[in-house]
Amino acid sequence: MSEAFSGPLERLDHSRWRIPRSYKPGMRVDGIIYADDQLIEQIRSDKAPEQVANVACLPGIVGASLAMPDIHWGYGFCIGGVAATDPDAGGVISPGGVGYDINCGVRLIRTDLSRADVQPRITAIVDQLFQTIPCGVGRGGRVKFGQADLRRLLAEGSRFVVHKGFGWESDLEVTEAGGCLEHANPDFVSPRALERGTDQCGTLGSGNHFVEVQVVDEIADPQAAAAFGLQLGQITLMIHSGSRGLGYQVCDDALKDLRNVPARYGIELPDRQLACAPVKSPEGQHYLGGMQAAANFAWANRQIMTHLAREVFSGIFRRPPELLGMRLVYDVAHNIAKLEPYEVGGRRRTLCVHRKGATRAFPAGHPEVPAAYRHVGQPVLVPGDMGRCSWVLVGQPAAMEHTFGTCCHGAGRVMSRTAAIAAAKGRSIEKELLSQGIVVRAPNAKGLAEEQPAAYKDVSLVAEAVHASGISRKVARLRPLGVIKG
Amino acid sequence: MARLAHFELFEHTADLGVRVWAPTRAALIAPATEGLYAAIGEVVAGGAAAPWSVNLAGDEPALLLRDYLAEVLHLFDGARRRLARVEVQQFTDECLSVLGDACPVDMGRSVLVREIKAITYHELALRRVADGYEATWIVDI
Repeated sequence: MSEAFSGPLERLDHSRWRIPRSYKPGMRVDGIIYADDQLIEQIRSDKAPEQVANVACLPGIVGASLAMPDIHWGYGFCIGGVAATDPDAGGVISPGGVGYDINCGVRLIRTDLSRADVQPRITAIVDQLFQTIPCGVGRGGRVKFGQADLRRLLAEGSRFVVHKGFGWESDLEVTEAGGCLEHANPDFVSPRALERGTDQCGTLGSGNHFVEVQVVDEIADPQAAAAFGLQLGQITLMIHSGSRGLGYQVCDDALKDLRNVPARYGIELPDRQLACAPVKSPEGQHYLGGMQAAANFAWANRQIMTHLAREVFSGIFRRPPELLGMRLVYDVAHNIAKLEPYEVGGRRRTLCVHRKGATRAFPAGHPEVPAAYRHVGQPVLVPGDMGRCSWVLVGQPAAMEHTFGTCCHGAGRVMSRTAAIAAAKGRSIEKELLSQGIVVRAPNAKGLAEEQPAAYKDVSLVAEAVHASGISRKVARLRPLGVIKG
Repeated sequence: MARLAHFELFEHTADLGVRVWAPTRAALIAPATEGLYAAIGEVVAGGAAAPWSVNLAGDEPALLLRDYLAEVLHLFDGARRRLARVEVQQFTDECLSVLGDACPVDMGRSVLVREIKAITYHELALRRVADGYEATWIVDI
């Protein structure tokens, strides 16, 4: 494990800690970490705060280098990191600020089903989802795209696959950015990345990706819950996945291409994993176009899995998914960089907002919040581990003032994979979860051991920390009943 | 007694690290290859081998090693093939050339635990140590 962070963490208020700009040479802004007293002790235990300070050195960074309460040690940027740069002031874009799994994200589907409807069939539902949605290492999908279709998919995202029959037009209205970043450029995606993506659209992948059948067991904000179509005792479905091999390769290609670029632009970096280029440079535009195409792939991926999940429910309950009320609540990215307008220093500026393991959280009234939710704010989906719960939050105005419209993305790991396997020795995670009423299916026991609940922070602590900070508000808690792990 | 070339996995919060040791720089390549497969799980070869080669240029041995491992990962990820044998032609400060035998992965006998997204630059190092060479890297899972 890495050493603990020994630098300064100054308390700003009950939920924010500052790493002052004076901490290390090259910092252009302060670092600010959102956490309560309990979480900050975990956060100090590795070098993630050092990475917050390193990100503060990026050219053109605006405001502060931010980190959410689910922060942990990443590559260059910490997971849970947020950084906005100003392209008009030499601001850079960094693939490390997005991560390998471009547009890894979460979507939530509501149903009209109750726990009483689903509980007797939960094993059949989970088994059928496991058979229908390809998961595990390198599994290819049921849906294959030729090169021409794949390029259209990269340009059009969810819209392309919805028009192919994988979903409903209404899904697009409640997907971040409508499931398509308009300036995506398939020409900036390498042949190797295309090869990795050819048969992976509509597949879950591995690691912490999952499909989960859940029950709403607490409503914290009745008005927002009603707007999102959520009520106590209702069944929901959550999908967590990203851009699969295509996105990994786009990031890997970019990091290689950018190795010597910072020096070319006279940019000094404290960590070479922060490799970057000015947003407006040819190198920056190349990464941006390829990254946006990979983001579109990820939205299409989650859209196809939504279609497959609807088919499973439809088959088991012998009703069309429309009559089961299987409406998409929202789909949100948590590994992405986007150009967004903000008021900074009394001036409207378009900033490049990097969210790496961080979720967009726009408040009520924001034009990018779907019309049906505009009076309450954007749903923020925060998955937890497979034994405890996940949260639906709603974006608040404070997020626009302090975090570039951003909130946390999940629980964050506290146990390494090797430690998790050691801790699972002699135990059956599957049986333990079953004893709690949670049916789990995974391609192998080792992978399940690595993802056991104890390997993660309690997501409720994370949700509470952002709720207390005012950047998002708690809406509903979702308990797992059945889980497909990749 | 001289140590034999070997690899070991080490922990990293969300991912996994690989450390390899060998008496010479070129001899790092074989345990590095096996270390990558161990990070994936148990990758068992089956079927006829086909010749495979890679020639990489650069200006830093650690980056050459990373790029080599990225090629091995691509061979596994894209073609579902595993290197059963590697032979290093040269491994200088500026160049790495490797020949190998690539066999299909026997999916029935393999246990694929982790999907490796990429070979990262995090803690990437290749250094001379008292009795040979040591390299470390982290894979993103």
